[in-house]
Amino acid sequence: MKITMVSKIRLDGTPCPKCEDVKQRLTELGLLNRIDTTEIADERDPDSPGARLAALHNVGLAPFFVVEDGGNIRIYTVFMRFLREVLETKQDADATSTAAQEVLRANPELDLL
Amino acid sequence: MSQQVRLLVGNEGDRDPIDILREALARHERVALSFSGAEDVALIDMVARLASGERAGLRLFSLDTGRLHPETYRFFETVREHYDLPFDLLLPDAAAVGAMTATKGLFSFYKDGHGECCALRKIEPLQRYLVNVDAWITGQRRDQSVTRVHVPQIQDDRAFRGRDDTLMKYNPLAAWSSADVWRYIRNNGVPYNALHDRGFVSIGCEPCTRAIAPHEHERAGRWWWEEATKKECGLHASNTEHVGTLR
Repeated sequence: MKITMVSKIRLDGTPCPKCEDVKQRLTELGLLNRIDTTEIADERDPDSPGARLAALHNVGLAPFFVVEDGGNIRIYTVFMRFLREVLETKQDADATSTAAQEVLRANPELDLL
Repeated sequence: MSQQVRLLVGNEGDRDPIDILREALARHERVALSFSGAEDVALIDMVARLASGERAGLRLFSLDTGRLHPETYRFFETVREHYDLPFDLLLPDAAAVGAMTATKGLFSFYKDGHGECCALRKIEPLQRYLVNVDAWITGQRRDQSVTRVHVPQIQDDRAFRGRDDTLMKYNPLAAWSSADVWRYIRNNGVPYNALHDRGFVSIGCEPCTRAIAPHEHERAGRWWWEEATKKECGLHASNTEHVGTLR
Protein backbone atom coordinates (compact mmCIF):
# COMPACT_ATOMS: atom_id res chain seq x y z
CA MET A 1 0.00 0.00 0.00
CA LYS A 2 1.22 3.46 -0.87
CA ILE A 3 -0.31 6.52 0.79
CA THR A 4 0.11 10.01 -0.65
CA MET A 5 -1.06 13.05 1.26
CA VAL A 6 -1.80 16.16 -0.77
CA SER A 7 -1.47 19.46 1.08
CA LYS A 8 -2.27 22.88 -0.25
CA ILE A 9 -0.31 26.13 -0.42
CA ARG A 10 -2.62 29.10 -0.71
CA LEU A 11 -2.36 31.96 -3.18
CA ASP A 12 -0.60 34.09 -0.61
CA GLY A 13 2.06 31.41 -0.16
CA THR A 14 0.92 30.27 3.27
CA PRO A 15 0.04 26.65 4.02
CA CYS A 16 -3.62 25.68 4.22
CA PRO A 17 -4.54 25.69 7.96
CA LYS A 18 -6.67 22.56 7.66
CA CYS A 19 -3.76 20.72 6.04
CA GLU A 20 -1.50 21.79 8.87
CA ASP A 21 -4.10 20.67 11.40
CA VAL A 22 -4.36 17.25 9.79
CA LYS A 23 -0.59 16.89 9.72
CA GLN A 24 -0.44 17.84 13.39
CA ARG A 25 -3.09 15.26 14.26
CA LEU A 26 -1.24 12.58 12.36
CA THR A 27 1.90 13.49 14.28
CA GLU A 28 0.11 13.40 17.63
CA LEU A 29 -1.37 10.02 16.82
CA GLY A 30 2.05 8.69 15.80
CA LEU A 31 0.74 7.96 12.31
CA LEU A 32 2.70 10.43 10.20
CA ASN A 33 5.21 7.75 9.28
CA ARG A 34 2.41 5.83 7.57
CA ILE A 35 2.29 8.55 4.90
CA ASP A 36 4.71 7.52 2.16
CA THR A 37 4.69 10.74 0.15
CA THR A 38 3.47 14.28 0.60
CA GLU A 39 2.71 16.33 -2.49
CA ILE A 40 2.01 20.03 -2.55
CA ALA A 41 -0.92 21.51 -4.42
CA ASP A 42 0.24 25.08 -4.90
CA GLU A 43 -2.64 27.36 -5.85
CA ARG A 44 -0.13 29.58 -7.64
CA ASP A 45 1.07 26.70 -9.80
CA PRO A 46 -1.50 24.49 -11.52
CA ASP A 47 1.31 22.20 -12.60
CA SER A 48 2.50 21.51 -9.07
CA PRO A 49 2.40 17.75 -8.32
CA GLY A 50 -0.45 18.04 -5.82
CA ALA A 51 -2.50 20.21 -8.17
CA ARG A 52 -2.05 17.65 -10.92
CA LEU A 53 -3.21 14.87 -8.58
CA ALA A 54 -6.24 16.93 -7.60
CA ALA A 55 -7.13 17.46 -11.25
CA LEU A 56 -6.52 13.81 -12.09
CA HIS A 57 -8.86 12.58 -9.36
CA ASN A 58 -11.31 15.49 -9.62
CA VAL A 59 -10.81 16.51 -6.01
CA GLY A 60 -11.67 20.00 -4.83
CA LEU A 61 -10.80 19.70 -1.14
CA ALA A 62 -7.50 19.77 0.67
CA PRO A 63 -5.96 17.93 2.24
CA PHE A 64 -6.77 14.63 0.60
CA PHE A 65 -5.19 11.22 0.51
CA VAL A 66 -4.48 8.91 -2.40
CA VAL A 67 -4.28 5.28 -1.33
CA GLU A 68 -2.85 2.85 -3.90
CA ASP A 69 -3.28 -0.76 -2.96
CA GLY A 70 -2.62 -3.55 -5.43
CA GLY A 71 -3.60 -1.53 -8.48
CA ASN A 72 -6.69 -0.19 -6.72
CA ILE A 73 -6.74 3.55 -6.02
CA ARG A 74 -8.96 5.11 -3.37
CA ILE A 75 -9.30 8.83 -2.67
CA TYR A 76 -10.10 10.11 0.81
CA THR A 77 -11.15 13.70 1.35
CA VAL A 78 -12.60 13.03 4.81
CA PHE A 79 -9.78 12.75 7.29
CA MET A 80 -11.72 10.81 9.91
CA ARG A 81 -12.79 8.25 7.35
CA PHE A 82 -9.20 7.92 6.14
CA LEU A 83 -8.08 7.40 9.73
CA ARG A 84 -10.70 4.78 10.39
CA GLU A 85 -10.55 2.87 7.12
CA VAL A 86 -6.87 3.10 6.24
CA LEU A 87 -4.82 3.82 9.34
CA GLU A 88 -6.86 3.07 12.43
CA THR A 89 -7.73 -0.42 11.35
CA LYS A 90 -4.55 -1.29 13.18
CA GLN A 91 -5.19 1.05 16.09
CA ASP A 92 -5.48 -0.68 19.44
CA ALA A 93 -8.11 -0.23 22.10
CA ASP A 94 -5.92 2.09 24.15
CA ALA A 95 -5.48 4.49 21.24
CA THR A 96 -9.22 4.46 20.56
CA SER A 97 -9.87 5.27 24.19
CA THR A 98 -7.30 8.04 24.32
CA ALA A 99 -8.58 9.76 21.19
CA ALA A 100 -12.19 9.66 22.38
CA GLN A 101 -11.28 10.94 25.82
CA GLU A 102 -9.47 13.90 24.24
CA VAL A 103 -12.65 14.87 22.44
CA LEU A 104 -14.70 14.56 25.62
CA ARG A 105 -12.23 16.62 27.66
CA ALA A 106 -12.45 19.42 25.11
CA ASN A 107 -16.23 19.14 24.86
CA PRO A 108 -17.48 18.03 28.29
CA GLU A 109 -21.11 18.71 27.51
CA LEU A 110 -21.13 15.74 25.16
CA ASP A 111 -21.39 13.32 28.07
CA LEU A 112 -25.05 14.23 28.38
CA LEU A 113 -25.90 12.83 24.97
CA MET B 1 -43.67 29.60 24.67
CA SER B 2 -44.41 32.54 26.93
CA GLN B 3 -42.57 35.82 26.57
CA GLN B 4 -41.46 35.49 30.21
CA VAL B 5 -39.69 32.22 29.49
CA ARG B 6 -38.09 33.63 26.37
CA LEU B 7 -36.64 36.53 28.35
CA LEU B 8 -35.23 34.23 31.00
CA VAL B 9 -33.29 31.92 28.74
CA GLY B 10 -33.34 33.35 25.26
CA ASN B 11 -31.05 35.62 23.29
CA GLU B 12 -32.18 38.36 21.03
CA GLY B 13 -32.71 36.86 17.62
CA ASP B 14 -33.50 33.36 18.83
CA ARG B 15 -35.76 31.61 16.40
CA ASP B 16 -38.53 29.10 16.66
CA PRO B 17 -37.23 25.51 16.89
CA ILE B 18 -39.26 24.52 13.86
CA ASP B 19 -37.49 27.20 11.80
CA ILE B 20 -34.13 25.83 12.88
CA LEU B 21 -35.15 22.28 12.01
CA ARG B 22 -36.43 23.37 8.62
CA GLU B 23 -33.22 25.24 7.90
CA ALA B 24 -31.07 22.24 8.83
CA LEU B 25 -33.06 19.91 6.62
CA ALA B 26 -33.13 22.36 3.73
CA ARG B 27 -29.44 23.18 3.80
CA HIS B 28 -28.01 19.67 4.11
CA GLU B 29 -28.40 16.43 2.26
CA ARG B 30 -27.69 14.12 5.19
CA VAL B 31 -28.81 15.15 8.67
CA ALA B 32 -28.73 13.11 11.89
CA LEU B 33 -30.94 13.86 14.88
CA SER B 34 -29.47 12.80 18.22
CA PHE B 35 -32.01 11.29 20.63
CA SER B 36 -31.00 10.60 24.23
CA GLY B 37 -34.15 8.75 25.21
CA ALA B 38 -35.32 11.64 27.35
CA GLU B 39 -37.37 14.80 26.77
CA ASP B 40 -35.53 15.59 23.55
CA VAL B 41 -38.20 13.37 22.02
CA ALA B 42 -39.95 16.71 21.47
CA LEU B 43 -37.59 17.32 18.54
CA ILE B 44 -38.57 14.03 16.94
CA ASP B 45 -42.21 14.99 17.24
CA MET B 46 -41.49 18.31 15.56
CA VAL B 47 -39.71 16.79 12.58
CA ALA B 48 -42.35 14.10 12.25
CA ARG B 49 -44.92 16.86 11.70
CA LEU B 50 -42.99 18.21 8.73
CA ALA B 51 -43.89 17.06 5.25
CA SER B 52 -42.10 13.81 4.39
CA GLY B 53 -40.28 15.54 1.54
CA GLU B 54 -38.77 18.04 3.95
CA ARG B 55 -37.20 15.36 6.11
CA ALA B 56 -36.09 12.96 3.39
CA GLY B 57 -32.41 13.13 4.39
CA LEU B 58 -32.99 12.74 8.12
CA ARG B 59 -32.06 9.81 10.35
CA LEU B 60 -32.54 9.52 14.11
CA PHE B 61 -29.81 8.00 16.20
CA SER B 62 -29.24 7.04 19.81
CA LEU B 63 -26.10 5.95 21.58
CA ASP B 64 -26.72 2.45 22.86
CA THR B 65 -24.04 2.34 25.51
CA GLY B 66 -25.12 -1.10 26.67
CA ARG B 67 -25.78 0.35 30.13
CA LEU B 68 -29.14 2.09 29.63
CA HIS B 69 -32.24 1.54 31.76
CA PRO B 70 -34.73 -1.07 30.52
CA GLU B 71 -37.26 1.76 30.42
CA THR B 72 -35.06 3.64 27.95
CA TYR B 73 -34.73 0.67 25.62
CA ARG B 74 -38.50 0.23 25.71
CA PHE B 75 -38.89 3.93 25.00
CA PHE B 76 -36.60 3.65 21.97
CA GLU B 77 -38.95 1.02 20.61
CA THR B 78 -41.99 3.16 21.38
CA VAL B 79 -40.44 6.03 19.45
CA ARG B 80 -39.49 3.79 16.55
CA GLU B 81 -43.03 2.47 16.23
CA HIS B 82 -44.79 5.76 16.94
CA TYR B 83 -42.90 7.91 14.45
CA ASP B 84 -41.75 5.45 11.79
CA LEU B 85 -38.56 7.40 11.06
CA PRO B 86 -35.17 5.81 10.22
CA PHE B 87 -33.58 5.10 13.61
CA ASP B 88 -30.00 3.96 14.18
CA LEU B 89 -28.64 2.61 17.46
CA LEU B 90 -24.90 3.25 17.72
CA LEU B 91 -22.88 0.59 19.53
CA PRO B 92 -19.47 1.09 21.12
CA ASP B 93 -16.32 -0.59 19.82
CA ALA B 94 -16.43 -4.01 21.47
CA ALA B 95 -12.65 -4.41 21.67
CA ALA B 96 -12.14 -1.03 23.30
CA VAL B 97 -14.89 -1.55 25.87
CA GLY B 98 -13.70 -5.11 26.49
CA ALA B 99 -10.18 -3.90 27.15
CA MET B 100 -11.45 -1.35 29.66
CA THR B 101 -13.74 -3.68 31.57
CA ALA B 102 -11.20 -6.51 31.56
CA THR B 103 -8.66 -4.36 33.35
CA LYS B 104 -10.86 -2.04 35.40
CA GLY B 105 -14.15 -3.86 35.88
CA LEU B 106 -17.67 -2.83 35.08
CA PHE B 107 -17.92 0.13 37.43
CA SER B 108 -14.55 1.88 37.11
CA PHE B 109 -16.30 5.23 36.66
CA TYR B 110 -17.19 5.32 40.36
CA LYS B 111 -13.44 5.47 41.10
CA ASP B 112 -11.87 7.07 38.06
CA GLY B 113 -14.63 9.39 36.91
CA HIS B 114 -16.98 8.91 33.99
CA GLY B 115 -14.72 10.30 31.27
CA GLU B 116 -13.14 7.10 30.00
CA CYS B 117 -16.37 5.13 29.95
CA CYS B 118 -18.36 7.93 28.27
CA ALA B 119 -15.58 8.40 25.73
CA LEU B 120 -15.68 4.77 24.68
CA ARG B 121 -19.42 4.20 24.83
CA LYS B 122 -20.55 7.56 23.40
CA ILE B 123 -17.86 9.68 21.81
CA GLU B 124 -16.10 7.05 19.72
CA PRO B 125 -19.32 5.69 18.16
CA LEU B 126 -20.47 9.26 17.60
CA GLN B 127 -17.25 10.09 15.76
CA ARG B 128 -17.71 7.08 13.51
CA TYR B 129 -21.31 7.97 12.76
CA LEU B 130 -20.98 11.67 12.11
CA VAL B 131 -18.40 11.29 9.33
CA ASN B 132 -21.29 10.09 7.19
CA VAL B 133 -23.49 13.15 7.63
CA ASP B 134 -23.37 16.86 6.81
CA ALA B 135 -25.08 18.13 9.95
CA TRP B 136 -26.54 16.94 13.20
CA ILE B 137 -29.29 18.13 15.49
CA THR B 138 -29.23 17.97 19.28
CA GLY B 139 -31.60 18.79 22.11
CA GLN B 140 -28.97 20.86 23.90
CA ARG B 141 -30.46 23.72 25.94
CA ARG B 142 -28.97 26.73 27.68
CA ASP B 143 -30.75 26.00 30.94
CA GLN B 144 -29.19 22.55 31.35
CA SER B 145 -25.92 23.77 32.81
CA VAL B 146 -23.90 26.89 33.48
CA THR B 147 -21.53 25.70 30.78
CA ARG B 148 -24.28 25.95 28.19
CA VAL B 149 -25.69 29.41 28.73
CA HIS B 150 -24.37 30.52 25.36
CA VAL B 151 -25.21 27.47 23.27
CA PRO B 152 -26.10 28.89 19.86
CA GLN B 153 -28.98 27.58 17.83
CA ILE B 154 -26.63 26.94 14.91
CA GLN B 155 -22.90 26.34 15.10
CA ASP B 156 -19.94 25.05 13.19
CA ASP B 157 -19.07 21.83 15.05
CA ARG B 158 -15.35 21.75 15.58
CA ALA B 159 -15.37 18.66 17.79
CA PHE B 160 -16.26 16.28 14.99
CA ARG B 161 -15.92 16.06 11.25
CA GLY B 162 -18.67 15.32 8.82
CA ARG B 163 -18.92 13.94 5.32
CA ASP B 164 -16.87 16.74 3.74
CA ASP B 165 -14.69 17.32 6.79
CA THR B 166 -17.02 20.07 7.96
CA LEU B 167 -20.02 19.55 10.17
CA MET B 168 -22.82 21.85 11.22
CA LYS B 169 -24.60 21.41 14.52
CA TYR B 170 -28.14 22.63 15.14
CA ASN B 171 -29.54 23.09 18.64
CA PRO B 172 -33.17 24.06 17.99
CA LEU B 173 -34.12 23.91 21.69
CA ALA B 174 -31.20 26.08 22.85
CA ALA B 175 -33.50 28.93 23.87
CA TRP B 176 -36.16 26.74 25.45
CA SER B 177 -36.33 25.89 29.13
CA SER B 178 -37.11 22.47 30.52
CA ALA B 179 -40.62 23.77 31.24
CA ASP B 180 -41.04 24.79 27.61
CA VAL B 181 -40.09 21.33 26.43
CA TRP B 182 -42.47 19.64 28.83
CA ARG B 183 -45.24 22.01 27.85
CA TYR B 184 -44.71 20.93 24.25
CA ILE B 185 -44.72 17.24 25.21
CA ARG B 186 -47.95 17.52 27.18
CA ASN B 187 -49.75 19.80 24.73
CA ASN B 188 -48.96 17.52 21.81
CA GLY B 189 -49.44 14.12 23.41
CA VAL B 190 -45.80 13.17 22.82
CA PRO B 191 -44.73 9.81 24.30
CA TYR B 192 -42.03 10.06 26.98
CA ASN B 193 -39.68 7.85 28.98
CA ALA B 194 -41.44 6.24 31.97
CA LEU B 195 -38.46 7.17 34.16
CA HIS B 196 -39.57 10.80 34.09
CA ASP B 197 -42.64 9.87 36.17
CA ARG B 198 -40.28 8.50 38.84
CA GLY B 199 -38.26 11.65 39.39
CA PHE B 200 -35.62 11.19 36.68
CA VAL B 201 -34.99 14.43 34.82
CA SER B 202 -31.71 13.94 32.93
CA ILE B 203 -31.55 10.35 31.71
CA GLY B 204 -28.35 8.54 30.80
CA CYS B 205 -26.80 5.20 31.68
CA GLU B 206 -28.37 3.28 34.54
CA PRO B 207 -25.33 3.28 36.88
CA CYS B 208 -24.78 7.02 36.37
CA THR B 209 -28.34 8.35 36.57
CA ARG B 210 -30.60 8.87 39.58
CA ALA B 211 -33.87 10.55 40.40
CA ILE B 212 -33.60 14.02 41.92
CA ALA B 213 -35.62 16.10 44.34
CA PRO B 214 -37.78 18.93 42.95
CA HIS B 215 -35.39 21.64 44.14
CA GLU B 216 -32.30 20.05 42.58
CA HIS B 217 -30.82 21.00 39.24
CA GLU B 218 -31.12 18.28 36.62
CA ARG B 219 -27.35 17.87 36.45
CA ALA B 220 -27.51 16.58 40.06
CA GLY B 221 -29.06 13.43 38.65
CA ARG B 222 -25.90 12.50 36.78
CA TRP B 223 -22.45 11.48 38.16
CA TRP B 224 -23.43 12.70 41.61
CA TRP B 225 -20.38 11.10 43.22
CA GLU B 226 -18.04 13.41 41.33
CA GLU B 227 -17.22 16.89 42.52
CA ALA B 228 -19.20 19.61 40.81
CA THR B 229 -15.97 21.10 39.52
CA LYS B 230 -15.08 17.85 37.79
CA LYS B 231 -18.50 17.62 36.19
CA GLU B 232 -18.19 21.10 34.78
CA CYS B 233 -14.49 21.38 34.00
CA GLY B 234 -12.95 22.14 30.62
CA LEU B 235 -15.57 24.49 29.25
CA HIS B 236 -16.36 24.05 25.61
CA ALA B 237 -15.20 27.23 23.91
CA SER B 238 -17.97 27.28 21.38
CA ASN B 239 -20.56 27.10 24.15
CA THR B 240 -19.05 29.59 26.54
CA GLU B 241 -18.03 32.25 24.09
CA HIS B 242 -21.06 33.83 22.58
CA VAL B 243 -20.65 33.11 18.90
CA GLY B 244 -24.20 33.90 17.88
CA THR B 245 -26.04 32.27 15.04
CA LEU B 246 -24.08 31.27 11.99
CA ARG B 247 -25.65 31.84 8.66
